[in-house]
Amino acid sequence: MRIRRRSLLAGAAATAALPLAVRAQVKPRVTFISQWSSGSDGAAITGLGKRLEAEGGIWQHSPVPGFTTEMMNKLRADIIAGNPPAASQLKGPEIAAWCKIAPTVNLDPLVEAAGYEKLIPTELVGLHKPQGHWIALPMQVYRTTTLFMSRPAMAKVGATKAPKTWAEFNELATAMKAAGITPVANGGIRWDDGMKLEIALAGINAESYRGALMKLDAKALKSADMLEAFAQLRKFASWMDPNIAAQHYSVNLPKFLKGEMGMLMMGGWAQGVIKNLGGKLEDVLITSAPQNEGKPCFVLNADSMIFWKRKEPDLTAGQQLLAKLMMQKDVQEQYSQTTGSIPVRIDVDLSGPAWSDGQREAAQVLNESFKSKRVLLSLAHNIAQPNQISSAMIDVLTEYVHNDKVTPEQGVQRLAAAVDTARG
Amino acid sequence: MDKALRPGRWLIYAILFGFALFTLLPLIVIVLNSFRTAVEIGRSSLIGWPAGLAWRNWTEAWGHFCIAQRCEGIRPYMENSFMMVVPATILSTALGAIAGYSISLWRFRGDTIVFAIVVMGVFLPEQMKLIPWALVLRELDLTNTIGALVLIHTVQGFSFTTLFCRNYYIGIPQDLVKAARVDGAGYFRTFWRIVLPLSPPIIIVTVIWQFTGIWNEFLFGVTFTTGEQQPVTAALIAIATTPQTDVVEYGIESAAVLLAAIPTLLVYFFGGRYFLRGLTAGAVK
Amino acid sequence: MRRRLAGFLPLLVIWIPLLISVAHVVGFTAWTTWLSFTPSDLLPEYDWAGLRSYRAVLRTENTAIAYANLLVYGVGYVGLTMIVGFVLAVLIDQRIRAENLLRTIYLYPLAVSFVVTGTVWSWLFNPGQGIQKFVNNLGWTGFRFDWIIDRDFALYTIIIAAVWHGVGFAMALFLAGLRSIDSDLHKAAQIDGAGPLRFYLRIAAPGVAPIAISVLVILLQYAIKTFDLVRALTGGGPGISTTLPALVVYDFMFQRGQLGRGSAAAVLLLLSLLVVLLPYYLYVHWRARRERTNG
Repeated sequence: MRIRRRSLLAGAAATAALPLAVRAQVKPRVTFISQWSSGSDGAAITGLGKRLEAEGGIWQHSPVPGFTTEMMNKLRADIIAGNPPAASQLKGPEIAAWCKIAPTVNLDPLVEAAGYEKLIPTELVGLHKPQGHWIALPMQVYRTTTLFMSRPAMAKVGATKAPKTWAEFNELATAMKAAGITPVANGGIRWDDGMKLEIALAGINAESYRGALMKLDAKALKSADMLEAFAQLRKFASWMDPNIAAQHYSVNLPKFLKGEMGMLMMGGWAQGVIKNLGGKLEDVLITSAPQNEGKPCFVLNADSMIFWKRKEPDLTAGQQLLAKLMMQKDVQEQYSQTTGSIPVRIDVDLSGPAWSDGQREAAQVLNESFKSKRVLLSLAHNIAQPNQISSAMIDVLTEYVHNDKVTPEQGVQRLAAAVDTARG
Repeated sequence: MDKALRPGRWLIYAILFGFALFTLLPLIVIVLNSFRTAVEIGRSSLIGWPAGLAWRNWTEAWGHFCIAQRCEGIRPYMENSFMMVVPATILSTALGAIAGYSISLWRFRGDTIVFAIVVMGVFLPEQMKLIPWALVLRELDLTNTIGALVLIHTVQGFSFTTLFCRNYYIGIPQDLVKAARVDGAGYFRTFWRIVLPLSPPIIIVTVIWQFTGIWNEFLFGVTFTTGEQQPVTAALIAIATTPQTDVVEYGIESAAVLLAAIPTLLVYFFGGRYFLRGLTAGAVK
Repeated sequence: MRRRLAGFLPLLVIWIPLLISVAHVVGFTAWTTWLSFTPSDLLPEYDWAGLRSYRAVLRTENTAIAYANLLVYGVGYVGLTMIVGFVLAVLIDQRIRAENLLRTIYLYPLAVSFVVTGTVWSWLFNPGQGIQKFVNNLGWTGFRFDWIIDRDFALYTIIIAAVWHGVGFAMALFLAGLRSIDSDLHKAAQIDGAGPLRFYLRIAAPGVAPIAISVLVILLQYAIKTFDLVRALTGGGPGISTTLPALVVYDFMFQRGQLGRGSAAAVLLLLSLLVVLLPYYLYVHWRARRERTNG
């Protein structure tokens, strides 16, 4: 009798406990830190969050106002406090540097299950596996070697197609200057100045770029190609608006769209800026920057998210969910359509109306460059080198652009010296 | 003595008002811009008369503007700032007054050295304190709270307030204190009866200085809080840092800056006279 | 028992906040100094690396430019603020009718944060959208005011913005000093037939010397710590031509993630502060001793 009651009680308790176990199944939760508080980046990351919520997760994003440095300060403060977010924005070589200071999540099982590794450019893969296994995922890809041309300006000088080599570019620029058009519409911010050099060098010789800016090989840094790149950079500087100072290139866009400025060397994201300013994309010709070697080449900038190890089950579940989503085609399409970037996966079909010609062209170049091993990493956007080295290099480049008393020879020397100091 | 420089009195007024105009220029510009739309500003320049009264800028800035994913304008951040500034100001002023009193009138062994070290704190640059504070906050388990900011600003403000108060209290005649002691008053009674009633000028100077300094502080406010607890300075930076793909909303930015500056402007507007009086009474020697 | 508590309590009230403050100042400074001798990058590491960080910091162009700029900026900002502040104080002291109004106007910039100061002045200095454009729109198309984009002149825009911010403070202190000059001195000067210029030069100026020293020190420490203003106004540019020591510290510590070098830069900054403060302490000490002997 007693035993039966006891077992009855046990059975009842077990039954009562069952819904509790089901109830205890955690809702996946993600805490995320980034600098993307507004604009299309903000919209894209918010969209990602909504997708996470639609899949049953809880999304807690804390954007940090300011720029990347402020975001990293916050991240560091949280790591020191022992409370890193479940995932955070981090890019390029920083992934390798930061993963040494706090434990990260091993994403290999998820990546293998999705067969993801073959679908991304090889250069990107290495950045996300600094310790040999996946700890971060790329979110979107931009091409920095994009040339935007103002059609009204082209009409004024009678140009019908984009220049394919730097020689053609220089001819066109001279013609534009003679016609009273400012040939180069770039801005004067640090990374803009850095970009102009990398675009010049990538267009001269991709392998020199790889050696000098990615591998920091001393011979490559002092090579003839580098000297030529600095000379080309000096030309760019002379063709820019002398009043531009340290302003963002977007202040030139109204003039660019009207045809008072001719050409802009910028990343693919400029497309979104032009649209937001009310510009019509039909007035702009978007193509690859000049390539002296005549072969496609793609200098990439990518945003990524890194996953920090957490013990809480809801956060771990959230990380798994977020990682899975980030690797999916539809999520990447949604993200890139919002920001104007290119999806990370090379198997995404961009022929639909939601994509612009610029994005299609860039994706095609990415594919071709991927096959011919001519994908390079951007220096100006901190993908090729960790911050301490790229900062030092960009210091030299921005000085060079704004100080026309520095000769190309001196520029080359200073860059090499800066690399030495930053490394030592 | 009639110090009036009679000839050229008009020159005096001209110089004074000329400089006043220079001082007012940024304020005028930003008030005007807060009533202009971004399109207007983009078309002409940042200095100009509003075509109409774009009240929308103000309502957007106050309650609707999207900062990160919260589209509540800067109002919640202003509340956070208040919750941080008021306790920190009160605490740092009170502690500074007591410390200043102790050091100047209630001498004890080692007071000069301690005072020198405390005052050194005024001169330490912020950047080098970021990481040490992160470590301290970790030990105290205070990260990402407004309490963390209150603690930081109180400890750092203490250096300033002690400096001000001590320099002021040192002007109180020793005889008063001695008389009180002869009467049998101890540490607290002396403070309450003699020193405190003499304190209003310096308290006001200190409160004004602290309120303004803490309200306008940015670096620690951004690093040690997240999302909902951030102070208004963080919100202003969020509005001002234009991402690469956006048009700058100068109009809303101007309105937001003005709204965020109203508390400190009011403090100086109403407290300016007392500020001067406090300084005259010997606050800073 | 009560007596013992009464004796004990003040000690607590006095010492606890003071000790916390001392621990904070000494601790943070010592920690930063220690870190400057380590190879720390993203996070503090505590091994010894000697003077490596110092050598690296001193070799970079940023440091040389920053300290050169600090010299120009420091002299310009402090000098101009004090001179203009003093002149304004003297003028206001002439029994001006609109004193309250003027005082309120001069003081309000202090209420504005350096970030906002820098941002609004960057709008004004912007050649394409600020003062230059405004004047051009008015018809005077040849007008140029583009200092902010000129490597050689950008630093002066920072000086202007900083002076704008600080003049009210200097004026307030000088006015307080002038007002506290004994009125007997005024009368004596008048009886002696000294004109107002003589009065100001011979009596008032030396009279406010102690306050001037205070103003000098407070402005100098602002100058040395200047960070927000430059970041908001020029971002350190064009190029790196307007960088200052505090920005170099921030750059190394946080932008480049090299804590060891950032700490070395911070220690250098502190040393430059000491160069300013040590004479001040000695002066205060000397003056106190003089007062005691004259007492």
